[in-house]
Amino acid sequence: MQTFYTIAVGPLAWFAWAVFLVGSAWRIFSMASLAKNKEMAAVAYFDTAYGMRSIARWMTPFATLGWQKNPVLTFATFAFHISFILLALFAQGHAILWEYAFGMRVWALPPQVASALTIIATLSCAYFLVRRLSNSTVRFVSTPGDWLALGLATLPFITALLVRQSVGDPLLMTLLHVLSGEAVLVAIPFTRLSHALFVPFTRAYMGSEFGAVRHCPDW
Amino acid sequence: MKKLNSTVCKVLVCAALVATGGLCLGLPPAFSSQEDITHVRSEALKPHTRPAALFRHDEHNEKAGIDDCATCHHGKDKDGKRDMADMTAGTDCVECHAVSPVKGQTALRRAFHLQCMGCHQERKQGPLHCTGCHTNG
Repeated sequence: MQTFYTIAVGPLAWFAWAVFLVGSAWRIFSMASLAKNKEMAAVAYFDTAYGMRSIARWMTPFATLGWQKNPVLTFATFAFHISFILLALFAQGHAILWEYAFGMRVWALPPQVASALTIIATLSCAYFLVRRLSNSTVRFVSTPGDWLALGLATLPFITALLVRQSVGDPLLMTLLHVLSGEAVLVAIPFTRLSHALFVPFTRAYMGSEFGAVRHCPDW
Repeated sequence: MKKLNSTVCKVLVCAALVATGGLCLGLPPAFSSQEDITHVRSEALKPHTRPAALFRHDEHNEKAGIDDCATCHHGKDKDGKRDMADMTAGTDCVECHAVSPVKGQTALRRAFHLQCMGCHQERKQGPLHCTGCHTNG
């Protein structure tokens, strides 16, 4: 297992980052090409100011009718994404790895804050799961890809909790945590997790159309 | 009085010989009691957020077959690069590895991790995951 862990934090980590970076660049480039070929009207009306206005509005909790409609979903969505980004970049163990590998001195979250964020993110995922199962409208439009994306996004948090709470063999749990993180990286360009890449563009498109064409707010 | 002076001189000469011999053999100063070392704990890195790394000095080095103190207690050459021929046991690591380093230095926490994890990685033995060393043991 020690050997497998060495591979997971070494060559496999480089592989996952390479797939994530190259795959993401390719997905954005190919989507841009497709938009130019098939949706030139949308591209022509693209407006940076209206686009940014819409992004800013939708990045603010409860600032849109959509966010106001279901406050619990809004809270879970913001809590999950903020926790995800903060923990991925600034969890203490991650900051140590940035420093160990590249000599980068990265600010780290206090451990108690990191633990709280991990629990919040896990509970948010549990809410997404329950909602997807219990809300017939959401269940109807759910595809296997949606379930896969939710499962992948949840695993790093569950394994982090297990490591933190010393449940099971520490090496195995840390290995599972590393592997689940790498699985997310690889999956981002090729699954529903690709919303992480495309959401600024789809939001900016909506903002442009509503702002520059329909002359009304899109929130 | 003359006899007393002679005895004092003999004691001093013996002490000097023992000390010099010890230094020549590369032994750390007797007051460091390395067998008592059970953890790598640096006061400079306070506040500590994780348990100190478990490290029973003699037990670890016997198991790892480390005889040369400079394997860990290395020095630096005139270019500031790591020099394994320069033994620095007894010198606090933070004297060369500042917590917030100047250019060309390796930060203290990174130096500890590179020292331990680097060797474990190279030898494919010893823990690489956080709780493998930072454990309440």
